[in-house]
Amino acid sequence: MPDWLIALFHLLVFPGFGFLFLCALAFQWIDRRVAARLQGRVGPPWFQPLADLIKLLAKEDILPVGADELACAVLPMVSLAAVLTAGLLIPVSGWKPNSFEGDLVVVLFLLSIPMLAYFLAGWLSISVYSVVGGNRSLLQYFAYEVPFLMALGGTAIVNGSWSIASIAARQSQTVWTMLMQPVGFLVAMIGLIGKLKRAPFDIPKAKSEISAGPLTEFSGRKLALWYLSRDMQTVVGVFLLVNLFLGGSGAMLLPALSFVAKALLLLLMLSVASVLYARLRIDQLVDVGWKVLAPLALLQLLVTVWMGVG
Amino acid sequence: MWESVVRWARRKSPWVLHFNTGGCNGCDIEILDLLTPRYDVERLGILKEASPRHADILLCTGPVTRQSRDRLRRIYEQMPAPKWVMAIGSCGCSGGVFHGGYNVLGGIDQVLPVDIYVPGCPCRPEAIIAGIAQLLDMVE
Repeated sequence: MPDWLIALFHLLVFPGFGFLFLCALAFQWIDRRVAARLQGRVGPPWFQPLADLIKLLAKEDILPVGADELACAVLPMVSLAAVLTAGLLIPVSGWKPNSFEGDLVVVLFLLSIPMLAYFLAGWLSISVYSVVGGNRSLLQYFAYEVPFLMALGGTAIVNGSWSIASIAARQSQTVWTMLMQPVGFLVAMIGLIGKLKRAPFDIPKAKSEISAGPLTEFSGRKLALWYLSRDMQTVVGVFLLVNLFLGGSGAMLLPALSFVAKALLLLLMLSVASVLYARLRIDQLVDVGWKVLAPLALLQLLVTVWMGVG
Repeated sequence: MWESVVRWARRKSPWVLHFNTGGCNGCDIEILDLLTPRYDVERLGILKEASPRHADILLCTGPVTRQSRDRLRRIYEQMPAPKWVMAIGSCGCSGGVFHGGYNVLGGIDQVLPVDIYVPGCPCRPEAIIAGIAQLLDMVE
């Protein structure tokens, strides 16, 4: 096969758009179903995320007068594109077409773009709710991102590489980073919840306070793209943590199976956390981020360096 | 082909917005019952949305007062098409016991085109679910 055909396959099918799209739908359904079961409900049928998406795509697309139409049309696409690019760089079940030294830093950078797009969307769609939500999302970004980065940097130091694939591969020779850095894993999981804006950190889109936050004024196709981008962020974030902390696909017989099992385990933890805990206020989150998570992540880094691992 | 897929998606994913136009709050509590484990309408794809821009069906409870008339119209206009309106409870259908009051216009249909009427004071949650199901059959 010619090179460009293989590249196209990587972009559109695996591990690009098609694969991430299916994973996003599946993850959203599993998440909603698990949350429903934990609350004693039945939960939606398996095709629910797909039906929601198609319905939104077919709905009318309106914006309030005075909103920046061009920016509001481009921002969801920017967000989606950044997440998809990050997804291309993450090894899936040991299969790593685009791996290079330092791709962890690139992925972390790409994963912070949706946050900025989200804030701008709230700011430029001029509704009161969306502006408040945008401000909150930016404040939340400063609360979780630093501990999150330190925790993920810790895995790179302990495994002696800044390439996600090498970090994952190294763990099959030694031991899972999760066991070596339990505190770092905890901080990374909490940071991921903040990054994905899931309960209990769904402060920017708190339904009972500020309608739907930055997305209040979005409808139709744009809203569909925002939701797709959100679900793909969940997939990419979970896959990233599986690679960094749970040893990726590992050295077991069925790499794909163990990778999926680990990803589902992390997704289950996210769902349980979202059902168990009530939403924090934004000032409480900043307190937790800077007074608890950041010192813990720093401590983990210091212990790692002091022990001279890596 | 695409048309039928879209119709299927619309039937399977009706997101509702709830607005009280001046009722006694009885029907509102019955609407909230829909989200509880006993009725769990998420299994039918129904989600309660907080923003009119995200919603497909407007659930209105209570008689339309002069105060709420403009807000009701505004909220309806903010919803993207295709959209439907349900009048919940006796007051929403006709004005109920408030009919003829000096500050009351009457039922929801005095202001908006209503697709389904669900009577009752307050109406049962089962009746609301049946109403939504009938509405979705009409969408076909």
